[in-house]
Amino acid sequence: MLSRLRSPNLVPMLAVALVIAALYYPLMLLANVPVAQRALDSGAALPCGSALECATQLRSPVLPSPQQLWTGFANLLFPLGSPNAIPRNAAVTALETLVGLALAAVVGFFFAIGIVASRAFERSLLPWIVASQTVPIIAIAPMLVVLLGQYGVQGWIPKAIIAAYIAFFPIAIGVAKGLRSPDPLSLDLMKTYNASSWQTYLKLRFPASLPYLFTAFKVAMTAALIGAIVAEISTISFQGIGKMLAENSRASDVVATWVIMIASAVLGILLVALVGWLEKVVTPWKR
Amino acid sequence: MTQSQTNPHPTPSAASLVSVKDVSMVFPTGTVALQNASLEIAAGEFISLIGPSGCGKTTLLRLLADLIQPTSGSIRVGGKTPEEARKSRAYGYVFQAPTLMEWRTVLQNVMLPLEVMGVPKAEHKPRAERMLALVGLEKFARHYPWQLSGGMQQRVSIARALAFDPQLLFMDEPFGALDEITRENLNLELLRLWRETGKTIIFVTHSIPEAVFLSTRIVVMTPRPGKIETVIPVDLPQPRNFETRETTRFFEIATQVREALRKGHGFDVQE
Repeated sequence: MLSRLRSPNLVPMLAVALVIAALYYPLMLLANVPVAQRALDSGAALPCGSALECATQLRSPVLPSPQQLWTGFANLLFPLGSPNAIPRNAAVTALETLVGLALAAVVGFFFAIGIVASRAFERSLLPWIVASQTVPIIAIAPMLVVLLGQYGVQGWIPKAIIAAYIAFFPIAIGVAKGLRSPDPLSLDLMKTYNASSWQTYLKLRFPASLPYLFTAFKVAMTAALIGAIVAEISTISFQGIGKMLAENSRASDVVATWVIMIASAVLGILLVALVGWLEKVVTPWKR
Repeated sequence: MTQSQTNPHPTPSAASLVSVKDVSMVFPTGTVALQNASLEIAAGEFISLIGPSGCGKTTLLRLLADLIQPTSGSIRVGGKTPEEARKSRAYGYVFQAPTLMEWRTVLQNVMLPLEVMGVPKAEHKPRAERMLALVGLEKFARHYPWQLSGGMQQRVSIARALAFDPQLLFMDEPFGALDEITRENLNLELLRLWRETGKTIIFVTHSIPEAVFLSTRIVVMTPRPGKIETVIPVDLPQPRNFETRETTRFFEIATQVREALRKGHGFDVQE
């Protein structure tokens, strides 16, 4: 049956999923049984007899059981357009991430050109760029939202900007490396043509940097997603995966929190796969 | 005692296409890559620069191409300084590696110089196709470089160098990385190209048979410091073919080159 799957890449991925599932169940029991035992000892009215049985049905499990996760998904996936369901919120977070990444690409690209074209630029600005990345996003997000709010920028846009804030760095560094990647002979070749600096960028450096750009995009995409979610959690949000996580963790709904976490991981996989697909379209010369 | 006094090789005088006078190149590290080199090359010649690593043959070629600038001495390429010659796109350069752009098809690679040099767009494709036909690769126009063998890639790079029809062709060990059989085939093909196009070719090589087979004159260079040991004329009749390699005269000239190399302690050349 597995051989019928269209993409052979899915098989190893599913194999890992099976291993995780097999390991998860005993681990879940190990974590939950003591809690269930304590609940039984305290004489709570539970719809189950033994600690082993109760371990899969706790209201606030240490680790949710597969059955609980399944029900959780069923509850949180539908209705598709509901403001309290995952699909709509995931779409908002994905939008913030993608807009953030696009913004990061533009900014990162200019920084990369600056780094490659001018030593002075690299020496004077790079340390500050590095410093900007060490500031915890969770601290800077609320302040950025306040700042942007002053100018009437609200809703999902500040989250996209925060996503861009942490995504532009890997893009800038990756593209700078890509722009420097042509070998000396290729640069000599352009010189023998008396090519202008602009022509050398256009015909040699930009195309040569594309593989590096996509590698950077994959790193930046996950960074942007985390940025968007953290921004949603740490500011006032009405939509998004981060808002769902914050709500459910405040309500101590362990199962829902796990479900949303898994959903955001799936979203991350899909977004990175999107970059991979784009790479195949844009660089068809690759083997 | 300068090289130009001991060994005044310059022969073609009046109408030299390339003229090198007393040129030295000392790198910032102190390495003397080239010492007092003098050389005159007439239009239509096929000149080989031969010698072991470190004898300055690639340095000399890069000096002619204005990829580096000499410490002293003067160079003229087509009556101009190397910089003017480069800016007027007077020469095509074929490197040790094919240096093809992996994102361009074979045809697009050959079109690259035409795009950079602002040749009218309508001419790009027909000209590139003609050049590919010249090196026998018209059937591979739509392939990407990685789909071609090393020898084919190097032929593409030769087609690319010829695409804008320069008078002069600089070739820096273009067949160095290829196997002997491919190399002999490409040598034959290069000779045919040279005859058909009437270009002047300056060719760097490690290989004595290659130099003898291709050249009208061989510039023997020796290392530490890099200098021109002697210039050996090759009077093998044209057109040359596979049988040329079997003639007595071929071996005589090869021996002459070998002895010149030995005299200058340059004998770590590949046979």
